[in-house]
Amino acid sequence: MIELLDDFVLRASLAGLIMVVIAAPMGCLMVWQRLAFLSDTLGHAAVLGVGVGLLLQVQPIFGVLAVALVIVFSLSRVGNFDSALSETTLAIISHTGLAGGIILVGILPGPGVNLEAILFGDLLATSKSDLLSLLLTTSLLVVLLLRNWRAFVAVSVSREIAQAEGVEVRRVQLLMYVMIALLVAVMMKVMGVLLIAAMLVIPTSSARLFSRSPEQMVLISGFYGLAALAGGMASSFHFDWQTGPAIVLSATLLLLLTLVVARFVRPRLD
Amino acid sequence: MSAELLLRADDVSYSQGQRLILDRVSFELRRTQITTIIGPNGAGKSTLANIVNGLIDNYSGVVERSPGLRIGYLPQKVYVNTLMPLSVERLLRLTRQSSDAQIEQALAQSEVGYLRYRQVRSLSEGELKRVLLARTTLGKPDLIVLDEPTAGVDVSGEIRMYQLIGELRDQLQCAVLLVSHDLHLVMSQTDQVLCLNQHLCCSGLPESVSRHPEYLALFGQQAAQSIAVYAHHHDHEHDVSGALEPHPHD
Repeated sequence: MIELLDDFVLRASLAGLIMVVIAAPMGCLMVWQRLAFLSDTLGHAAVLGVGVGLLLQVQPIFGVLAVALVIVFSLSRVGNFDSALSETTLAIISHTGLAGGIILVGILPGPGVNLEAILFGDLLATSKSDLLSLLLTTSLLVVLLLRNWRAFVAVSVSREIAQAEGVEVRRVQLLMYVMIALLVAVMMKVMGVLLIAAMLVIPTSSARLFSRSPEQMVLISGFYGLAALAGGMASSFHFDWQTGPAIVLSATLLLLLTLVVARFVRPRLD
Repeated sequence: MSAELLLRADDVSYSQGQRLILDRVSFELRRTQITTIIGPNGAGKSTLANIVNGLIDNYSGVVERSPGLRIGYLPQKVYVNTLMPLSVERLLRLTRQSSDAQIEQALAQSEVGYLRYRQVRSLSEGELKRVLLARTTLGKPDLIVLDEPTAGVDVSGEIRMYQLIGELRDQLQCAVLLVSHDLHLVMSQTDQVLCLNQHLCCSGLPESVSRHPEYLALFGQQAAQSIAVYAHHHDHEHDVSGALEPHPHD
């Protein structure tokens, strides 16, 4: 059974599948809480994390996770979440991280790293250990999601109401940020740091057009993610395109098709 | 003042950093009474509401609540996410389990039973306010705290909203703490007015507060005008309905 994983296509498909499973609920929560830009920021800053990983001679994923967690905890230390998460703050962190990371990766001695694979991902190069870390992290995230789903949804609907009714909003939000940091660290390998946010936002936007409940939106996002993965991998093989960008373009194409269809057969959502 | 005492605040002060927001405020909330907090912007109205509902707990002074006091709270600014697919029914069930009958009753009390299966994102601002009002009545609260419940609602909707709050008070036999900027609209429903500007300038029956020199100093010409408007409304109401209804504690 385990020899099957020697097939790189199978490994890539499994990695993609796991990513879709976790990207759907996380993507929905992030869109609802307007945190998509945070994932983008953590993605860009992940390049610095890769550099830090090289510097400390540990697996890049640990460097990425460390940098993401430092950013997330610093943001949560600022009294007001809204000002901490302003576009300006995030853009500064994002691009400083990216620039610092590129310089750090460049000046470090040694074999160097494939910057392109970091930026755009390399799904087809998924190793067994990548697959394992993806599986473990996703399992952890799924458990955390299931245990906190009610609170996550309540905070997404209205922080004020959630807080007034006994939800520990700050704790829930910090947990959410840590989960995003974890997600970015493991998705980097598959999607590349620049394209992570796309997989969290685009299928979700398609699903939103047809959903009537939060859970329905998660489920439909999952199907859109799956279709984008299949379409992206197929076109990647067929046209020899890079896999990550091909998946993102498939997702966008599906969104456009959905928008067109929705114009004509839009179900009553009111 | 025979109604059951639900909450007593004694010399409550609150500062944020160097800034004093509330200065030794004392008052009581009693069952079936509607208490309205008025005051200029930055007077500490919302802060006081949040101390009452327990969201702020690092104040000085004493707040005594009757044991097991259940509070329903409608925040001033409720940013309800429009990116989220969410039915009205689900919004009511967000943080607690409620039976179908409870949901139906709560929505009916706020006259929005027909909105039950609608998506929250398709509601008008006025509809949303009423749905949120219905939400605060779930779980049989002893006290409802409403922070500017009519912000964003047009004037006729506003008047109806205040009538509705009075009806809810009667049906639920609860106390209501209302933060408002427009005394003249809430006056006919209010039993006790707390006029706040960091400290409690004056408090009591609406008519006496509106004649209080500190109230007039605080609100100046505008207040005088709104009282004139109110007095006009008041006279008019008397002409139509005949007798003045006495306040319960008069």
